[in-house]
Amino acid sequence: MNQLLLIPIVAFAKLLTLALRASGRGSGTALPGYLVGRYFPFVLEALISQIPTVVAITGTNGKTTSQTMLSAMISQVPGVKVLRNKAGANLSQGILSELLKQSNALGHLDFTHAVLEVEEATLPRIAALLQPSIIAVTNLYRDQLDAYGEIDRTEKLIRDGIAQCPTAAVVVNGDDPRTARLTQGLGNATYFVSLAPEYARFLPYEGKLNPRDVNGQGLEATQIHINEDLTTDFAIQGQMNGGAVQIPQARTVSPGFFHVYNALTAIAIANLLGVDGDTAVTGLKTFKPAFGRGEILVQQQGSKQVNYRLLLVKNPASFSLSLELLRNIPNLKLILAINDNTADGKDVSWLWDSELERLNQANIDWILCTGIRAKDMAVRLKYALDASPGPIPTAESIRQAIDLSFEKAHSGDTVFVLPTYTAMLEFRKLMGKTLDVV
Amino acid sequence: MPYALTLTHLYPDYLNLYGDTGNLIVLHRRCQWMGIDCTVNTLSMGDVAQAGTTDLYFMGGGQDTDQVAVVNDFHQLKYDAIRADTEAGVVFLGVCGGYQLMGNTFLMGNGEETRGLGIINVNTRAPGTEVKQRCIGNLVAELTPTTYADMQTLYAYPREIPKTLVGFENHSGQTYLGDRVEPLATTIAGFGNNATAEHEGARYKNVFGSYMHGSLLPKNPHFADYLIGLALRRRYPEATITLPALPDTEEWAAHTYAVQRYG
Ligand SMILES: [Zn+2]
Repeated sequence: MNQLLLIPIVAFAKLLTLALRASGRGSGTALPGYLVGRYFPFVLEALISQIPTVVAITGTNGKTTSQTMLSAMISQVPGVKVLRNKAGANLSQGILSELLKQSNALGHLDFTHAVLEVEEATLPRIAALLQPSIIAVTNLYRDQLDAYGEIDRTEKLIRDGIAQCPTAAVVVNGDDPRTARLTQGLGNATYFVSLAPEYARFLPYEGKLNPRDVNGQGLEATQIHINEDLTTDFAIQGQMNGGAVQIPQARTVSPGFFHVYNALTAIAIANLLGVDGDTAVTGLKTFKPAFGRGEILVQQQGSKQVNYRLLLVKNPASFSLSLELLRNIPNLKLILAINDNTADGKDVSWLWDSELERLNQANIDWILCTGIRAKDMAVRLKYALDASPGPIPTAESIRQAIDLSFEKAHSGDTVFVLPTYTAMLEFRKLMGKTLDVV
Repeated sequence: MPYALTLTHLYPDYLNLYGDTGNLIVLHRRCQWMGIDCTVNTLSMGDVAQAGTTDLYFMGGGQDTDQVAVVNDFHQLKYDAIRADTEAGVVFLGVCGGYQLMGNTFLMGNGEETRGLGIINVNTRAPGTEVKQRCIGNLVAELTPTTYADMQTLYAYPREIPKTLVGFENHSGQTYLGDRVEPLATTIAGFGNNATAEHEGARYKNVFGSYMHGSLLPKNPHFADYLIGLALRRRYPEATITLPALPDTEEWAAHTYAVQRYG
């Protein structure tokens, strides 16, 4: 492809981005990518092919976290320059926009690695163009809005994407039956990341756990310990590329089992890219959780200070796992914030697929329900708890929930907040935080 | 109360979308709270059903491929027993996909009509031109007078219960009721059975179908109690069955909120 052709197109895209910014119409994330992708379909390939190593990460939950962790790990290596797309900008136009933005005026990209999160259905559309050397699939969960058969289709789409890249190494969640079988019948080298069985059984996967393929290569997390501040320690053992891997201690500041998977996925990819275990673990320590994924917000009035720790819930799996995490918290103070806006899922049925029963093992001080569907949440709780906690308090607005909880809490307390997506945005806004995507 | 009930969840591992399990959680808990000894069994693929062993069947919705497998299994291993039960007044509740599945024909995602379980005379067809898209959104409906009147006779003391049912629907199939089947409720907000008929759900003897998720029973505790009451009356025909009125503060708050916000 003639590199000269790229120059006017890249210039156009850059001007458009500037113009969009100047007119105040957002940061211009997707539009340049959309227009260029539509009228000059060869540009994506022309740009991405300049980057020697491309990694594509897809799956229902944990794309952004795995991507961020991996970037932190490989950035430890001198000379490595990583390009990544922004969280959520994971359709082809979002990826193309990022490539256009990062290229110089001549359409050159000066990066050694591209670490891209790719939306599940987008993978088969761009896999052949990206030609990733590694594809990772974090997990495949049903979302609460899943129409019939959606998850089966998604599984098939990802498989189609992988089939277009016969030389790519594939890293999958080995505990999730849907991802563990993705490369069956394909020739791709496959690496499974998994938790030791005593932890994996807590996880709400769909279908039965496959007996592990004993010959399968990959990494397993053992000795997982969730600390009181929710940082999570674990050890890693396994086989990668024929070599044994032993990492006695790793820590993720993002809480819980989900993030152990994300860390394992990132470490497995880093290993395939030639990054050793120590470097990967050091990189992991520099990783900061994204908003809503364990982030702490502080509310201060006079000398009283209360911390709010946000754990986004977006489907039954993430809800159940967040609750699992809270079992070890002494005197748990909990806010459940459930909205039913489009981005949350308008049908709150999924609250009944979430295992609120796990709270029976928790040491609860108090629980408060808020959000548009606070009353539905209260009913779910009432049926989940073995011992009646008495009337379950609900606060109509999230503002009231913050005020009420601040009043109830003592200075220095941490209140855990499990919000749906729009409830989280509202919560952050009320605490003076706006949406600042990394 | 020295009463006992056996509930059977049909194909829980195949038909488990959209919070369907919530309905069983609610039946089970309410039995516990009322002092009824309640056992929950499951009947799934490969299990042979036996008539006279359960008081209430529940079935939710699933994915297309699973639903077809269920129909074949049902006709081979379960039809005779369950049909004999439901004809004899055993309670059966099907929700959404489970409701469609209970009928004579139902609709696959690709628009193909398929044989159903055939335990209630309803047919679910592909939407015609009168329906633009899926029937999706909050659903509020008023119970059919006969069912509502019967529901009021259930409690030991007169109790004020709402005439409404609330839930959330999400379906493209259009369900039409045949002979000897009456609607469960009249639609106030949302579509219900189909885009033109203005009614929601179906009843034949003690066989009930509804499009409501939400889940259905948690926010409609009167309907949950009614199913429990019908099951007890059939199992203990000599006894005079009345139910205690549970406090239900949270349930009515959620119910009323849904009626006001979406009704
Ligand atoms: Zn449904």
